[in-house]
Amino acid sequence: MSASEILEILHETIYAEHGSALEMLAACKQTKSTSLAYGYFEHAKDEYNHTKTFKEILSNKSYNCYVDIVRKFRITPIGLITKGYVSRKGYLIETMNLKDFIAYVYTNELLAETSFAKIKKLLGPNNKDSNRISNIMDDELRHHGMAKEYFLKYYPELQPWQLLYYKTKETIKNKTRKLYHKNIIFLEKIFFPLYSLLTLISSRLLIILNLTEYKRTDCNLMDINARSIL
Amino acid sequence: MFIGISAYNHESAIALVDESGTLINYYREESLSRIKGDKSFPKRGLKRIIKLHELENDSINSVIFYERPLSSFLFPLKEATKYLPESMNLMVHQIRNFNKSSLSCYIDLAKYCPGLEKKLIYTDHHLSHTLTSIAYSNKQENLCSIVVDGFGDRSTSSISYVKDKYNIKELWSSNYPASLGLFYSTITDFLGFSINEGEYKVMGLSAFGKSESKEAKLITRLIRWDKCKNEIIMDLTYFSFHKSITNSYNHKLKDLLGEPRNPFAKLQPGDKYFQRYANIARGAQDITNEILSEIFKFAYQITKSNHFLFSGGVALNSSSIEYLANLEFVKSIIIPPSPGDSGAAIGASYFGYLKSNLKNKSIDKPKLYPSEYSCIEQRDHIKKILDTKFRVVTNKEDESIDLACKLISQGEVIGVIISNGETGPRALGNRSLICNGSNKHSVNVLNTLIKSRSPFRPTAPAMRKHIAEKYFQLNPAIMDSYNSMNATCRSKKDSISITYPITHIDGTARLQIVQDNTILWNILERLENMGIEILANSSLNISGDPTCFDIIDGLMVCSIAPLNYLLTDLGMIKKR
Repeated sequence: MSASEILEILHETIYAEHGSALEMLAACKQTKSTSLAYGYFEHAKDEYNHTKTFKEILSNKSYNCYVDIVRKFRITPIGLITKGYVSRKGYLIETMNLKDFIAYVYTNELLAETSFAKIKKLLGPNNKDSNRISNIMDDELRHHGMAKEYFLKYYPELQPWQLLYYKTKETIKNKTRKLYHKNIIFLEKIFFPLYSLLTLISSRLLIILNLTEYKRTDCNLMDINARSIL
Repeated sequence: MFIGISAYNHESAIALVDESGTLINYYREESLSRIKGDKSFPKRGLKRIIKLHELENDSINSVIFYERPLSSFLFPLKEATKYLPESMNLMVHQIRNFNKSSLSCYIDLAKYCPGLEKKLIYTDHHLSHTLTSIAYSNKQENLCSIVVDGFGDRSTSSISYVKDKYNIKELWSSNYPASLGLFYSTITDFLGFSINEGEYKVMGLSAFGKSESKEAKLITRLIRWDKCKNEIIMDLTYFSFHKSITNSYNHKLKDLLGEPRNPFAKLQPGDKYFQRYANIARGAQDITNEILSEIFKFAYQITKSNHFLFSGGVALNSSSIEYLANLEFVKSIIIPPSPGDSGAAIGASYFGYLKSNLKNKSIDKPKLYPSEYSCIEQRDHIKKILDTKFRVVTNKEDESIDLACKLISQGEVIGVIISNGETGPRALGNRSLICNGSNKHSVNVLNTLIKSRSPFRPTAPAMRKHIAEKYFQLNPAIMDSYNSMNATCRSKKDSISITYPITHIDGTARLQIVQDNTILWNILERLENMGIEILANSSLNISGDPTCFDIIDGLMVCSIAPLNYLLTDLGMIKKR
């Protein structure tokens, strides 16, 4: 794997961890239980620390690289929304019921631990970063354990096989998400000529459109029609 | 009730003005979503405002969007047509994402508050800025309003004459893409900082640069003011923001200024390339000062008013304000506490108010802390967090302030979350990190260990007026700006404040004169008796996050940063 690809993975991981921190912080604020609020608070704290760790790793790996390559790996918080790590619809706790949310945490922490193992392998054994990732993996397993404990305590009617069901469902969802993402990229390539054609047609119209007619010079701005969008 | 909304371009916000012309609530969406620079439709702010004020559709007179959506969509697109096929990707991107632009305001409003979309009206982008400024001005007639930003819905800079609040005539404008704001953003990008986020870092860096350096002089090739035509001339051959999604500059700028800065490289005084980057920042700051002063001169010439309102993103450049206030014809400059797009939500709500059929309309000067909140509302919710990880040292207000003073005098950094939040982006005491402004160690802990800020960035001081007069050269034309940290000023010659860590390398400080009966006023009143006259004041957050809004955010900062104390509505809280 090339250095750029490794940076790309670290870059995405930072967004994923920051997104998780915000999800947990939102859950902490939204939940009605003071115990759950505490649990989510601690979880959010860990995710914030993971974000910081991955930022440091990315920074250490990037500062000697060619500027044009690393510019795109700058972290801008708004990327959390544009990249889809936080949904435009809102945080998960705002859109899911509590049971599904806990199941989501339970399964995703385990999946996160698996993906960190892959990152650890990529970074190579026996280095400082690798040890830091091991600690993060331990945290994720702890979060997974806590979610499982909570789940079984408050929803005792659910059997381990049902947890397995949630896990499988989430795994399939994640894989589908990846497949969808790949297809989107593929479809974009196919449809780009069509978009370009549409753009060219619109550009002809835009050239004809005389926007200077709507100039404001010497107008009382307070008198302009408040229903007009132009 | 009138709801003003700004969104989709920069940080989104929502403002609520009542039928007596008072701003009664205001939220930046980033405060609630915790995503810095969140520009999505302010759904959380809207929801909170509706809940807190028990609003129903019938009680809302109008919802006002701060710009004309079709204009803001079409103007950049039309410009891009000139650069086809090079601009094809940008155009495809804009057209495909039209539903994430201002055009979707109507749809989003219908989605989050069905029925309210029928009450949606629009105003001009720069008019929203002007009305925001008017709201913060004691004088509301015969004013000159100057708006300078990246891009509004049709122009990038404008001058209007405000005869009164119903009669605002635009006299001059600069068309996209010639933009002082976008020029500054491009230099921000070139210096490795993020656009719309790192501009203030460029301003801080510029103090280390030299105006007579080669790099600073080269910057003058990029943008200038044409004194004959009275317009901003930008050499677009160095820029790409008007034809590319990903690049704001091109190879020609690299040929001119050398290799851009690696965003991940450390930037510290004394480093190999530090001076080169500082000189570039100096050049950008110098040309910004120069063009702004030319705009002000021209504005004075055509409006004959020497009382100015200044807003738009460029008005956040506090270093320029001091420069402008020194122009001989300037009597006053009013800058709203949030002069950028998020503050424009306030102007938009006033637009609806002024257009309504109400009688005897007057605009009340908004408070500096309009975002309604109290830690009390989350007291029960955080019980377990407080019991397990923190300790309430005292819940009595007076004792908490005494303890805060004692801790500050011992060199401790204190976090503050008290009552309502600021309009932003500057923390003015209710959402702040504070420490002794003359203690180098404390300021260093605040700046470097807690906030992870670059060492070249100064921390702002807060003090009472008589102390500010003692140490700094205050300019009477911008006295209001000192209340909201909108302007820098110079330390007096031979004053000890030059040696304080809150004073920047060039002898300036972006000071805050605290208002009476605020939390900082109460703390400073007691600290002065203990020999501490100046506080260092920075926003309560960690690097990359927005300023804290509620107590949970504050407790989180305490948990992940070396911050031990939090002064709140619930008392003084200590980390275990």
